[in-house]
Amino acid sequence: MTITATGFNLNGSGSVTKEPETLNKIPGNRAIWVGIFAEMTEFALFFLVYFIAKAHYPEQFNQGPQQLNTLAGTLNTFALITSSYFVAKALASIRMDDPEQSIKWLWRAVSCGCIYLVIKVWEYHWNVDQGIVTNTSKFYTMYYYMTFNHLLHVGWASGSLLWAIHQLKVGRYTKKNHIGLTAIACYWHMVDLAWVIIFPLLYVLR
Amino acid sequence: MIKNLFTLNALDISWVLLMIITSANAFVAETAEPSLAITAIICCSIAYKGRRIMDYFMELNHANETIQFFMRSYFHVFPALIFLTDLFSEELASLTTI
Repeated sequence: MTITATGFNLNGSGSVTKEPETLNKIPGNRAIWVGIFAEMTEFALFFLVYFIAKAHYPEQFNQGPQQLNTLAGTLNTFALITSSYFVAKALASIRMDDPEQSIKWLWRAVSCGCIYLVIKVWEYHWNVDQGIVTNTSKFYTMYYYMTFNHLLHVGWASGSLLWAIHQLKVGRYTKKNHIGLTAIACYWHMVDLAWVIIFPLLYVLR
Repeated sequence: MIKNLFTLNALDISWVLLMIITSANAFVAETAEPSLAITAIICCSIAYKGRRIMDYFMELNHANETIQFFMRSYFHVFPALIFLTDLFSEELASLTTI
C-alpha cells in the first residue's frame, strides 16, 4: 500500500503548491466567501448562545446529550464527511478533464446529503417518541434550533450540488473553467465544518 | 494493478482520519464521564478535524492568506471557547446574569 501524504495529491498526480488555481488565490470567487463568512458568523452566534445557556443551566446541558440518539448524530457526521470527500473528488476529476467522473462523484455527494436529511427527520421522530420536543428543556431548544438551521443549510447546499451537476452536463464547467464548481464545493465544506462543531456540542460534551 | 488499487492520496487519508476521529468522539459520548480532560480532548479533535477539512477538502492550505487566517482562527477560537466556558462556567453565568 502506498501512502502519499507528503505529495498532497489533489488529483492523483500534482502537488497543491503547483496548482495554479489554489496558490495564494481565493478558492471559487469572492461572493461565495462573503456568504461563507456570513454563515460562519451566524453559527458563531448560535455557539455563543449555547455557551451562555450551558453556564446558566448546567444540569439540563448535562442530562440533554444522554437522552439524544448518538448513533443518529454519528451517522450524520459520517454522511457529511463522506459527502465532503466526494465533492473534493468531483473537483479533482474536473481538473483532470473528466466531467463524467465529476458528475458521478457529485451524485454520490448528493446521496450523502439525502441520507443526512432522512436520518435527521427520523431522529426528530425518534425524539418526539421519547418525549423530547423543543420546550422540554433549554438544551433541547438549542438542539432543535441549531440542528434544524443546519438541516436547512444541508438542504439548499444539496440543491447547489444538483445545479453543479446540471452545469457539468451542459458543459459549462470544464477543466479550464470551473470556478462555479469550486465555489459550490467551498460552500458544501463550510456546511460540513459547522457540523464538526455542532456534533460534539450537542451529542458528546456534557 | 493491485498496488494502484490501494494507493491513497491526501483526500483518502483525510477521509479515513476524519471517520476514525468521529467514531472515537461517539465512543466518548457513550462511555466517558464528563471531565475537563475529556473536554480538552474533544476540543483538540474539533480543531484537528476543522483544520484537516479546511486544508485538504477546501484546499485552503496554500490559498489566499486572509481567508486562511480567518478560517483557521475560527477553529482555534471556538474549541478554546468550549474549553474555557466549561472551565469558567460559574463566572460566565454571573457575568451574563441580567
